[in-house]
Amino acid sequence: MGNFEQKVKIFTEIFWQENGYIKVLEGLQNTLLIAIAGLLIGIVIGTLIATARVIPKYKLLPRVLNSICSFYVALFRGTPMVVQLLVFYYVLLPIIGLKITGVQVAMLVFGLNSGAYISEIMRSGIQSVDPGQMEAGRAVGLSFGTSMMKIVIPQAVKNILPTLGNEFVSLIKETSVVSFVGAADLYVAFNYIGSNSYEFMVPYLVMALIYIALVLVISLLIKLMERSLKKSDRRN
Amino acid sequence: MIDVINLKKSFGDTEVLTGINIKINKGDIVAVIGPSGSGKSTFLRCLNCMEDPTGGSIIFNGVDIADMRVDINEHRRHMGMVFQHFNLFNNKTVLENIMLAPVYLQCQDLKKAKRANLFRKEKLPITKTKQQIKEEAKEQAMALLKRIGLEDKADVYPSTLSGGQKQRIAIVRSLAMNPDVILFDEPTSALDPEMVGEVLELMKELAKEGMTMVVVTHEMGFAKEVANRVVFIDEGKIKEENSPQEFFANPKDERLKDFLSKVL
Repeated sequence: MGNFEQKVKIFTEIFWQENGYIKVLEGLQNTLLIAIAGLLIGIVIGTLIATARVIPKYKLLPRVLNSICSFYVALFRGTPMVVQLLVFYYVLLPIIGLKITGVQVAMLVFGLNSGAYISEIMRSGIQSVDPGQMEAGRAVGLSFGTSMMKIVIPQAVKNILPTLGNEFVSLIKETSVVSFVGAADLYVAFNYIGSNSYEFMVPYLVMALIYIALVLVISLLIKLMERSLKKSDRRN
Repeated sequence: MIDVINLKKSFGDTEVLTGINIKINKGDIVAVIGPSGSGKSTFLRCLNCMEDPTGGSIIFNGVDIADMRVDINEHRRHMGMVFQHFNLFNNKTVLENIMLAPVYLQCQDLKKAKRANLFRKEKLPITKTKQQIKEEAKEQAMALLKRIGLEDKADVYPSTLSGGQKQRIAIVRSLAMNPDVILFDEPTSALDPEMVGEVLELMKELAKEGMTMVVVTHEMGFAKEVANRVVFIDEGKIKEENSPQEFFANPKDERLKDFLSKVL
């Protein structure tokens, strides 16, 4: 294993002395930024789509809305994230003439993509809430939207929190493809260290460890959140 | 107060209500009875457009609320509804359950008035601030809870309550909106026999105070004792309507005779 020790030494040298750690911190920041922004945008889009899809459908407008939303979901679930990134960065943005960085594109695309997934998660969450809750809201004179916002969605979110956590975890992991559009994430950082020394074993190993650590921390946070949301569940 | 004219409702091809006519006056306590599947719950749910009627009209305080163009939310504020399964908001404490709608809707009105005043010469009167609305609603909610003897439960979540407690809170929740009429959809059917009494007691009190009530029920005792009109619905029609004394003593409709012989 002398060979391995040698490799570790090379890695630590580059990591500390040739600004490797700055690259890694930048990469970590971008990774988290993209995943968190993606999740937040996704939750907003997902909630809107899910709400649109559960409006009673005997009028024309909800039906049109519903088909638009189904199309959106089909589009973003039917193509790989990499393809969406590439299309946005190299096709759509030049056409619109908008100049934004790779990280910003990634945040946008991750948001749109996870919006499609979260809409389905949210829809199942909304449908898991007793319809009587909505009826009670409507019966006291609240509108559909208000009853949704104040009563149904808070209960739905509690039900889907574990699944939502899953979505966040998979977003974190999927950020490893954003280098396709020139965004510097963790992969780019460790790739930089690796190519500086022509030695990839240790950098990629450390990269894997960082991803695992990230995911474990997030799982812990979700568990804590679930516990605090449980207070209305039964006997506090 | 509520004038139902030829009310019809069908779900797809199934006609549930085939033309209901009834006039409910202020202070009336109408008990609606009938076999299951007769459409009595659907009738009640049509009264506040929880189910949109497919025909006919419902004139409530002079407005046809069966018309899809009216703002139904506005009218529902004046029509309380109590459900078989209570339907307390599970994510809200008891106090929040009662305060939610009054506070939210008044704040909404306040916002609207403020917005309108920006562009208007003659200002709409704004009497209360948000803080005052909240305080008043809280005071009222606590008074209501005190009335049913549950003020110590103000800050617990509904999941910790018994069925009877939940239903009584659901009733005061609709009272908090100061409605003109309360619709009860089998309010005691999901309760333990032991708890039926406390809910009926509260309903009797409301009746004494002159609240207009429409009650779909299987409690013949309640219908006899408290209601001033009893309505028998079968096959989507009102088959018989009378004062409780006459209704139970001299039923005329064959189906009603049969029904009463089974339930009494």
